[in-house]
Amino acid sequence: MLQTKTDTRRVTDTDAPPVIEVRGIRKTFGSFVALDGINMSVPRASVGLLGANGAGKTTLIRTLLGLIAPDSGTATVVGYDTQHEGTKVREYVGYMPEAEGLPSNTTAADFVGHMAEMSGIPPRAARQRAADVLYQVGLAEERYRLIKGFSTGMRQRVKLAQAIVHDPKLVFLDEPTAGLDPRGREEMLELIERIYRQLGIAVVVSTHILEDVERVCDYVVILDQGRLIAAQSLGDLGDIGGEVIVHIEGDQEAFRRALEAQGITVREADLEMGFEELIVEVENESTYDLIRDIAVAQGALLRSLRGRSRSLEDIYLGNIGATREEVGARE
Amino acid sequence: MSDAANAPAPTARQASYGEVFDRGYAHYDGPREGRRRAVLSLFLYSIKRAMGIRKSWTAKILPALLYFSSFVPLIVIIGIAALAPDFNVASYIDYFGGIFMIVGIFCATVIPEILVPDRREKTLPLYFARAITRFDYVFAKLAAAAVLTMTISVLPAIILWLGTQLTAESPASAMRENIGDLGRVVLLGTLIALTLGTISLVISSMTDRKGVAIGVIIIGFLVITGISEVAVLELDMGWSNYFILGSIQAVFNAIASSLFDVVPDQEVQEANLDTWIYFAWVVFIIVAGSLFVRWRYSPRNAS
Repeated sequence: MLQTKTDTRRVTDTDAPPVIEVRGIRKTFGSFVALDGINMSVPRASVGLLGANGAGKTTLIRTLLGLIAPDSGTATVVGYDTQHEGTKVREYVGYMPEAEGLPSNTTAADFVGHMAEMSGIPPRAARQRAADVLYQVGLAEERYRLIKGFSTGMRQRVKLAQAIVHDPKLVFLDEPTAGLDPRGREEMLELIERIYRQLGIAVVVSTHILEDVERVCDYVVILDQGRLIAAQSLGDLGDIGGEVIVHIEGDQEAFRRALEAQGITVREADLEMGFEELIVEVENESTYDLIRDIAVAQGALLRSLRGRSRSLEDIYLGNIGATREEVGARE
Repeated sequence: MSDAANAPAPTARQASYGEVFDRGYAHYDGPREGRRRAVLSLFLYSIKRAMGIRKSWTAKILPALLYFSSFVPLIVIIGIAALAPDFNVASYIDYFGGIFMIVGIFCATVIPEILVPDRREKTLPLYFARAITRFDYVFAKLAAAAVLTMTISVLPAIILWLGTQLTAESPASAMRENIGDLGRVVLLGTLIALTLGTISLVISSMTDRKGVAIGVIIIGFLVITGISEVAVLELDMGWSNYFILGSIQAVFNAIASSLFDVVPDQEVQEANLDTWIYFAWVVFIIVAGSLFVRWRYSPRNAS
C-alpha cells in the first residue's frame, strides 16, 4: 500500500521482518572503541541514524554492508549475514556515501547503468533502470550530460540514483544533505521521503541534523561514542507525563507566583516554545482547575493549555546525558 | 506501491505518438546475476574507460595513435611479404623488438586510466558497496589491463603470423609447418603484456594522479634499463650479471632469442644467465605485482 505524505506521519512497518538485526556488535580500531556492544532490531521504515561525528555511524554502516568484520557479534541485513554473505547483502542494499565520489568524464546515464550492472543487473535492464531512476530523481533531461558539468545538488541526485538503481530492499544514505543550499536540501529531503513512502524502499539516513530526521524519518537510532543510546519509533515519543505548557495573556509573573503559592512547580518555557509560555508540573487533576481559577481571578486570558510533547532533541540530549553519567559512574 | 507504479503498462496500441504517461517507479523483478555480472561489468567498463570510449574525443587520441603505430608496420611487413616473397623484411624477434617501446608507452599512458581515476575521483566506496569483493575488484582490473595490453602485443603478432602464412605459396601447408611459431608468438606477446601491464598497475596503484603514474613508469623504465645495461657491460664481477634483470627489454630479448633460437643482443650475451632465470623473473614480476596491487586495495590501504 502506498504511503504518501497525506497518510499517517509515522509509517514504520512493524509487521514486516526487521531489515537490520544486530547482536552484540563490537568493533575497535587499536584502543579506540568504534562500536561497543550494539544490539538492535530495526523495522522496515525510514530510519534516522543520529550521532555526532565519531559516534560510530559510518563504522556501523560499513559493518552492516559487510565491508568491515566486527571483533565480535553478528548482524543480518535484509535477511543476509553481513560477515558470510557480504556480496549478497550488497546485491540487495544501496549505499550513498557522504564523500564526493563520482567519475567526472562520463554521463550520468552511463555511470548509473554501470552501477546497476555492478549490482548484478543484466546490461539491457541496467540501462533501462538507469533511465527510469534518473527520471525519478529529476535528472531525465540531463542524463546524457557529462557529470563534470553538474552542480552539487545534481551530483547528489546522481549519487542517490546509483544507490537505488538496482531496486534495493534497503538503502543507506550517508549525510545526504551535506553541502546543499536550502533549496537543494529541501529537494533532497523530499526525494528521501519518496524513497520509502512511494517507492517502498527502506531507508537509513545517517546524519547529525535532528531536523532532517524529524522531517523524513519514522524511526530513530541514536549512537554516542560507539554506544547505542536509543532505537525507537518516532511515533512512540509520546507526551512527557506530568507537565503542561500554559500560554496566558496577562501578568505572567503574578500568575506564576499564585501557582507557586499553591505548591505547584512552575518553570519558564524555552524561548523557542514562546516567550509567554510556562511549564507547569501537574500533580493531579485538580491542577488544571487551579490554573483555570487563577487565570479567571487575575483577569488573565488563558490562550492554551497543552501536554508537553517530547522532541527528538529531548530524546537525543536526555539519553546521551543519562548514558554518559551512567558510564562515568561505572568507570 | 504508487498508483502510477500499479498502473498497467501502456500497450503499443494505447501508446500512440504524443501521449504523455506518468512514469511511476517500477520495482525490478528480473534476473540478478550477482558477482559474475559485477566483475564482468567492471572488466568491460575499465577497458572502455581506458580506451576513451564514451568519453570526450581527446581521451581517444592517444590509444588510437598507439594502435596506429602498432598496426601500420604490420601492414607494411605483410604487404612487402606478399609483393616480394624472397625479401625478408622482419623476423618475429625484430617485430617484437620494434613494438616493445610502443607496448611500453601504451602501458605507461593507457593502463593507468584503468586504476587511477577510481582513486582520484573517490569512487572506490561506491564499488566496494556493490556485489563484489576487493579481490574481485583487483582481479577485474588486472584482467582488463592484461587483455588490453594483449590487444597491442599479441593481436598484431598473431596477424603477422597469419599474414606471413597466407602470403606463402601454399598457405595451408605453411600454417601446418609454422604452427609452433604461433604458439611462441602468443606466449611471448602474452608474457610482455602481463609483465608490462602488471608493472604499470603496481605504479598506478600508488598514486591518484595519472600524470605522476605516467612519469614514474617512463622515467623509471628508462633509468633502470640504462643503469642495468651499463652495469652488465661495465662491471666485471659475477653477481653484476644479474643487473640485466633490471632491463625488461633485455629480459624479453633473452626470452625471445631462446624461443626463436637466435643470437640475443650483446648485453644479454655478456650477462650469460640461464634462460630459466629470465622466465622465472618474469613470472615473479607478474605474481608479486598482482599480490602487491591486491595488498594496496586491502581495507587498510584503500578507502
